[in-house]
Amino acid sequence: MSTRETPALGKGYYELVRTVLAENIRTGRIPPGTRLYTAAVADRLGLSPSPVRRALDGLAAEGILAVHPQQGYVVGIALPEASPGRENLHRLDLDLSLLETGRSTPLAPRWETILEEVEGAVLRTIPFGTFQISEAGLCEHFGVSRTISREVLARLNGQGLIEKSRSSHWIVGPLSARTLDEMHEMRRLLEPQALCGAAPRLEPGVLTAMAQELERLCAGGGRGDSTEIDAIETALHRDLIAACRNRRMITTIHGLQVAHVVDALFRAHIGVHDVGAIIDEHRMVVLHLLGRDAEGAAQALRRHLDLDHQRVRARLKVLSIFDAPNDLPYLIRIH
Amino acid sequence: MPSSRPRLRVVARREFVPTPLREEAARALAIDIDFAVVDSLDGLRRVVTAPESFDVYHQWHTVDLIWTSRAIRPITLDRLTCAAELSALAHPPLDAQAPPTVTGKLFVQPDGELGPRPSDRVSMLPVLRGIDAFAYQPALRDLIGPDAPESWGWLFDDRLSGRVGLLSDPVLGMIEAALATEASQGVAFGDIGNLAIEEIDHVADTLIQLKKRGHFRGVWSNYEEAARLMQRGALIQSMFTPGATRLRREKMEVAVANPVEGGRGWHSDLCLSAAADGETLDAAYAYLNWWAGGWPGACLSRQGYYAFLPERARAFLSPSEWDYWYEGLPAATALPDPFGLPAIPAGHLREGGSYAARMARVRVWNTFMDEHGYLVRRWREFLEA
Repeated sequence: MSTRETPALGKGYYELVRTVLAENIRTGRIPPGTRLYTAAVADRLGLSPSPVRRALDGLAAEGILAVHPQQGYVVGIALPEASPGRENLHRLDLDLSLLETGRSTPLAPRWETILEEVEGAVLRTIPFGTFQISEAGLCEHFGVSRTISREVLARLNGQGLIEKSRSSHWIVGPLSARTLDEMHEMRRLLEPQALCGAAPRLEPGVLTAMAQELERLCAGGGRGDSTEIDAIETALHRDLIAACRNRRMITTIHGLQVAHVVDALFRAHIGVHDVGAIIDEHRMVVLHLLGRDAEGAAQALRRHLDLDHQRVRARLKVLSIFDAPNDLPYLIRIH
Repeated sequence: MPSSRPRLRVVARREFVPTPLREEAARALAIDIDFAVVDSLDGLRRVVTAPESFDVYHQWHTVDLIWTSRAIRPITLDRLTCAAELSALAHPPLDAQAPPTVTGKLFVQPDGELGPRPSDRVSMLPVLRGIDAFAYQPALRDLIGPDAPESWGWLFDDRLSGRVGLLSDPVLGMIEAALATEASQGVAFGDIGNLAIEEIDHVADTLIQLKKRGHFRGVWSNYEEAARLMQRGALIQSMFTPGATRLRREKMEVAVANPVEGGRGWHSDLCLSAAADGETLDAAYAYLNWWAGGWPGACLSRQGYYAFLPERARAFLSPSEWDYWYEGLPAATALPDPFGLPAIPAGHLREGGSYAARMARVRVWNTFMDEHGYLVRRWREFLEA
């Protein structure tokens, strides 16, 4: 269910496709003389045809491909003796690692990078109240079309982050204690389960490194800076469970991890305090995993989630005395 | 070498530190005290974001927040002269009047959180307590009837439209508005001290609708503004007792209600900054112990507050003051307010009776509710409507 299948691909993504094809041609993975058809290349890369067509056109303009007199393109110079037949591109061992990195690439589709930014902004804003998110404001802020801003809003709606008011405006927030309770209730069921699923597939080296980092922080007197806390939380709640094969569960869990946003905002407003408790709780999880006790690790994770939930609830209350920096033109405070 | 006098920076609302109290503190303690008098949330914001900017905080109903923020440090019981009385709060039989918001959050537990189990460190030194309701002018009876029992429902009563005042603080204001909603609409909230989202919406929608109809004359944010609002024509309004005492000093007839639904209880406590240490910390403990000694509690009793440990204040009150403020007996003579000016006329009887009788009427304690984040946004919507 690659997000790449959408037709709403913006400028920039075809450049990534062009780079991938150019690299595979340069290294000989796509040999000279190979006949390339747009549909076949799109099928091989798992992409929609339009960025592929643009990429192929670009490569042709650069002289890396030649336009075949009948149909498609040919790698290199179109010699008359070039293979006339249709190549099965699936037999070629291509390097598609650039495409695999998906979201993290700066050349991801336009709506996708915008979605990531808007999602972050929404999460950082909802602890501070209720806001309207404006479609026109999104267009103006990002310099994109209505189609793209609608795509972004549709995705946010799908994630349950926004909803339509009676007057048909898109509304975000507020993040209430009840929302945190509900998310926690689901997360404490799913996340330990995902950890059990991930446990047999975890590399001992990764776990040892995590244990060492926790020891180091512990030796520092249970004080860490915001980046260090972020890093250990990401390592446990994102990276470790990512080894679980059930992607649907992982996606759901990501959507439930709003507590981390509250923590990060609290650190930004108040600063980092004693994090000895968090470190201890993490250590219990990692030590169980090192001892190949997945069930024990799951229990330790559940305990960590329960204790952290109480801390996060208390921190959300502190955030109630602050206001969100209201500097995003597409978020309009309602109350 | 004589060193300069120690300095102490204290953050407090004006009700807790009237000028005579500030002057007596400087005299009695031989330390220089900077009082930052802040009536709004700015005081709390400063405390949680900049613990190095203050040494002592007169908190009320914020201990959850300032402890979560680690803006305050534990108080060592050994260093307090009233340690025994504080420890006694944790032991049965529980003081019937000890607020749960004190006993549940007083002691520092082994895990670093606050709880009721006694330990040798506390989060706060409780110094004052009281119960608030609304006040009204006698002319209100012409509209409501001479015998109608005092009720929070009056605040939302259509017959008083345009003559009603409220306080602006969201924590206190929402509690009072919830009491008024229950009484005027015949509904019952699950826990009026911890309203759910829908209940907050119910109260906020009621408030906004009333405001749009011109029901409210104004809102106030401290006792001086409260007194002025009533002088400007509010017939009924939220009231802090110092405001009522001020009006009595100025010879205005005002009744402090003892509503059938009960009142809104509160306590105020002293907390130490997380950043205080060395000589400053010593000065802070001296300030705390001065409060524990009884003089400040006696001073503020004269505006209608109760010393958290009444017997300690008693030594600084005249028998007629004690009888009027704590025993609920008629004033034997004219009694002064904290400024030394005559406020209570001879023969006046305090509404609600004695300390024990009045504090037993607490229906709900001031507190930041679980959904305070939501509450405060809806409250702002009301203020801006």
